Amino acid sequence: MSASDTKEAYSGARKGEDATFEDVWDTPKGVRRLSSVSHRVVGRRFIYTGFVFFLIAGVLALMVRTQLIVPGNTFLDLETYSQVFTMHGTLMMFLFAIPILEGFAVYLIPLMLGARDLIFPRLGQFGYYCYLFGGIIVLSSFLFDAAPDGGWFMYVPLSTQAYSPGLSADFWLIGITFAEIASVTAAVELITAILCARAPGMSLAKMPVFAWYILITAFMIAIGFPPLIIGSILLEAERLLGLPFFDPVLGGDPLLWQHLFWLFGHPEVYIIFLPAAGMVATMLPTFVGKPLFGYGFAVAAVVSMGFISFGLWAHHMFATGLPILSLSLFSAASTMVAVPTAIQVFCFIATLASGRPKLTTPMLFILGFLSIFVLGGLTGVMLASVPFNFQAHDSYFVVAHLHYVLIGGMVFPLIGAFYYWAPHFTGRMMSERLGRWVFGLMFVGFNTTFLLMHLTGLRGMPRRVATYAEGLGWDRLNMLSSIGSYILAAGIALFVFDFFRSRRHGPPAPRNPWGAGTLEWLYPPVAPGFNFHAIPHVESREPLWDQPHLLENEAHEVDGVMRGIRDGRRETLGCDPVSGAPLYVLRLPHPTWLPMIAAAGLAVLFGAMLASAYWLCAVGAAIALVALTLWAWEPSDSGVTRDAGMGYELPVNVVDRRSHMHVALVGTMLVLMALFASLIFGLLYLWNIRPESAETLSRPDILPAGFAVVLGLAVALFGQLTRRAAVSDRFIGATLLSLATAMSALLSVAALGISLLPIDPWDSALGATLWAIGGFVAFVLAVLAYWSLFNAARRVSRRVGPGQSMPDFNLATFAKGTGLMVAVSGAFFIVGAMGGVG
Amino acid sequence: MTELTRQVVAIARPGLAWAVHFIAIYALISGACAARALFGYAFLLIAGGMATVICAGLCLWSVAAPPAGADLKGAAFWSGLIFAMAILANASALFFFQSCGG
Repeated sequence: MSASDTKEAYSGARKGEDATFEDVWDTPKGVRRLSSVSHRVVGRRFIYTGFVFFLIAGVLALMVRTQLIVPGNTFLDLETYSQVFTMHGTLMMFLFAIPILEGFAVYLIPLMLGARDLIFPRLGQFGYYCYLFGGIIVLSSFLFDAAPDGGWFMYVPLSTQAYSPGLSADFWLIGITFAEIASVTAAVELITAILCARAPGMSLAKMPVFAWYILITAFMIAIGFPPLIIGSILLEAERLLGLPFFDPVLGGDPLLWQHLFWLFGHPEVYIIFLPAAGMVATMLPTFVGKPLFGYGFAVAAVVSMGFISFGLWAHHMFATGLPILSLSLFSAASTMVAVPTAIQVFCFIATLASGRPKLTTPMLFILGFLSIFVLGGLTGVMLASVPFNFQAHDSYFVVAHLHYVLIGGMVFPLIGAFYYWAPHFTGRMMSERLGRWVFGLMFVGFNTTFLLMHLTGLRGMPRRVATYAEGLGWDRLNMLSSIGSYILAAGIALFVFDFFRSRRHGPPAPRNPWGAGTLEWLYPPVAPGFNFHAIPHVESREPLWDQPHLLENEAHEVDGVMRGIRDGRRETLGCDPVSGAPLYVLRLPHPTWLPMIAAAGLAVLFGAMLASAYWLCAVGAAIALVALTLWAWEPSDSGVTRDAGMGYELPVNVVDRRSHMHVALVGTMLVLMALFASLIFGLLYLWNIRPESAETLSRPDILPAGFAVVLGLAVALFGQLTRRAAVSDRFIGATLLSLATAMSALLSVAALGISLLPIDPWDSALGATLWAIGGFVAFVLAVLAYWSLFNAARRVSRRVGPGQSMPDFNLATFAKGTGLMVAVSGAFFIVGAMGGVG
Repeated sequence: MTELTRQVVAIARPGLAWAVHFIAIYALISGACAARALFGYAFLLIAGGMATVICAGLCLWSVAAPPAGADLKGAAFWSGLIFAMAILANASALFFFQSCGG
């Protein structure tokens, strides 16, 4: 059957063609609101939950400062102090900074780009509940008197079973890994949304600069988080199963953990900074009344930072005995990252100079950001110098530096962003008068606390000490820092008061209250669930400035694409990733409980693992699997065309490399490849630095390893053939080839497993790492096999019809990536079997 | 390939060249200077030098011959320049040092 625009030809995916646009996009009421998948609801949940974690972490920070206010203080005992500073860092870095910025991105990106929602709304809901449940697991450690106390970086051997018995480190490893699912899913979701759902005419060059910042950040998350996820899994496997990845006695190395952690940890700083800088780049032109100076410079700088930030991780490890030449390499990269950072700052300053800035509250926070962040950047360049780093390492100078970068670079823009975008959350303006007080208290409190810490550090005070002796020259500095922290806290408290006050008593926000140029202000700030009745054609980066007709009419009367489609479905416009030209009508899901149930199943799985109730783990995994299967078990939407208005006759959910599903799959493969690369890095690292251990390792079996390589290629080949058969609507051929893909995947698992049988994973770290690689690839192969069988089952049960080949199209790409991993693993095993391991 | 696609490639190419160069230099240093000592400093210098010339060249391609069209031409130019500088900075240690120890 060919594509058709007749309703009769359109099978089963309609939800009620008589519903109005507002009905279709209506947010469920009451308890059913929890099932909402709207980016407006999910984004706000991320933001509010992140802020609650921020407040909790802030209270923990005040406890730390209260303990240090005088020498010899006994406000906290040593163990509690370690728990408090560990949880402060953990909550701030993992549960506040990234999620809240992702929340802003989830909320703002569709509005700025002219989309009606994010492309994968259910993934957004799933990610949010993973984040919430993961955060609850981490926080619940306080209830069991098992709060982690090894620092937010969980260095080994301190965090191994020998030195951290009990569950404290397990709470951290399991809870944070679970919560990280949210970051990774949001990254894939944002990459796809930015590339595939923009207003007509919005090419990459006309995209609001905020979208560039978020796009690069999302790529960084996709590549940066996997090393930590792998590190956490390896460390948990060492604690739970006794596998010796980090045990030097058995050929492991504690520094491997530091490498994996900081491979994530340093890009994390930029992952936190870039979205906040993107907010500044969005707000600043509004108050200056001129476009951002040097859009091209800014884009180049953001792309450069995204790459170069991955070359800095070892500057956290200068004092660990790395080769001098390595130190120089990382010192050079750490210094060089200042160049793109400075270019961005110059863009901001030049924008300021190009007009007469209005000193509103958000603008004050932007100025605060510039002054504080530049100071933090300069001390960062100091710390990039190896000799200075040796002196300042693990002192309060580093504490001062990181807070200047993170609070100056992220918290100040964030509070400014709250003042700027508050009308979107409350429909009302926050108080300018109180806002100035908030800024004043925060600016004075922050600098009193942390400027002095530079001196405290240079006077020799080490980090993470619970108390100190009198008369070392640290007493008054600590006293003043603690007083400063209370002033800073007062500023935050006043901000919270102002936010809640404005919900009831703030003046109602008019349409586009700041006179901004970006599309999120096209509608009055609080719209009931929907974004655009019609998606307008965009001709510039500041459409509300350059296309005045957009604001001359009521928002719902603005002319655009997709006004008239009446399938009763949530839909937005899919576009070409580069040019932004309309390509297809993108069908979106309606509210559902399934993502929440899947996340709850995973929460049971992770929680039961903590309690060593392994049967319950299986139950949780089964719940998640069933929910995810039902999630995917839905009628296909592709295979028809619709008149989208303004001369566009568009297919629904096009089957193409440029489709949102395929772009998302490429993003997912990027994450999987980064996970795989982290394991390969671990293998090569241990092999290289512990040659004596490698020599004693048993060798993999060469014949099954060779079979694995061949089977890996077969996986890729069958996947590709399935795609061809499905695209040409060969029903039986596609079904049989799906089964062949699944079969070759399962045989690959067997071949890899048999190849590794001679190796005892408990015998050496290298052997354990080989098994970890085999286990990871086996997991990916199992997913591939399940997906192939799933596709075959859908075809047999007539859930997909002719022209609906998107699942098979995407599976082929997944099979190619998986086949590559199998072939590379098999090749490593063959090299090991031939003596290369020793 | 459209004009805009060429510009996007010209922005991304220097970044990818930097990433390849960084991985190559890190791998070479690790190979020469860790316990296994896979090769000597001379090999490190020659291989590192070749990688530097090739990768810096790929970056400077975006600088010397920026793609046509005004949309993202500036971004491509500056991306090439920033990454070329970063590559030279990363490689500088190899040429100033005489051995793994300094």
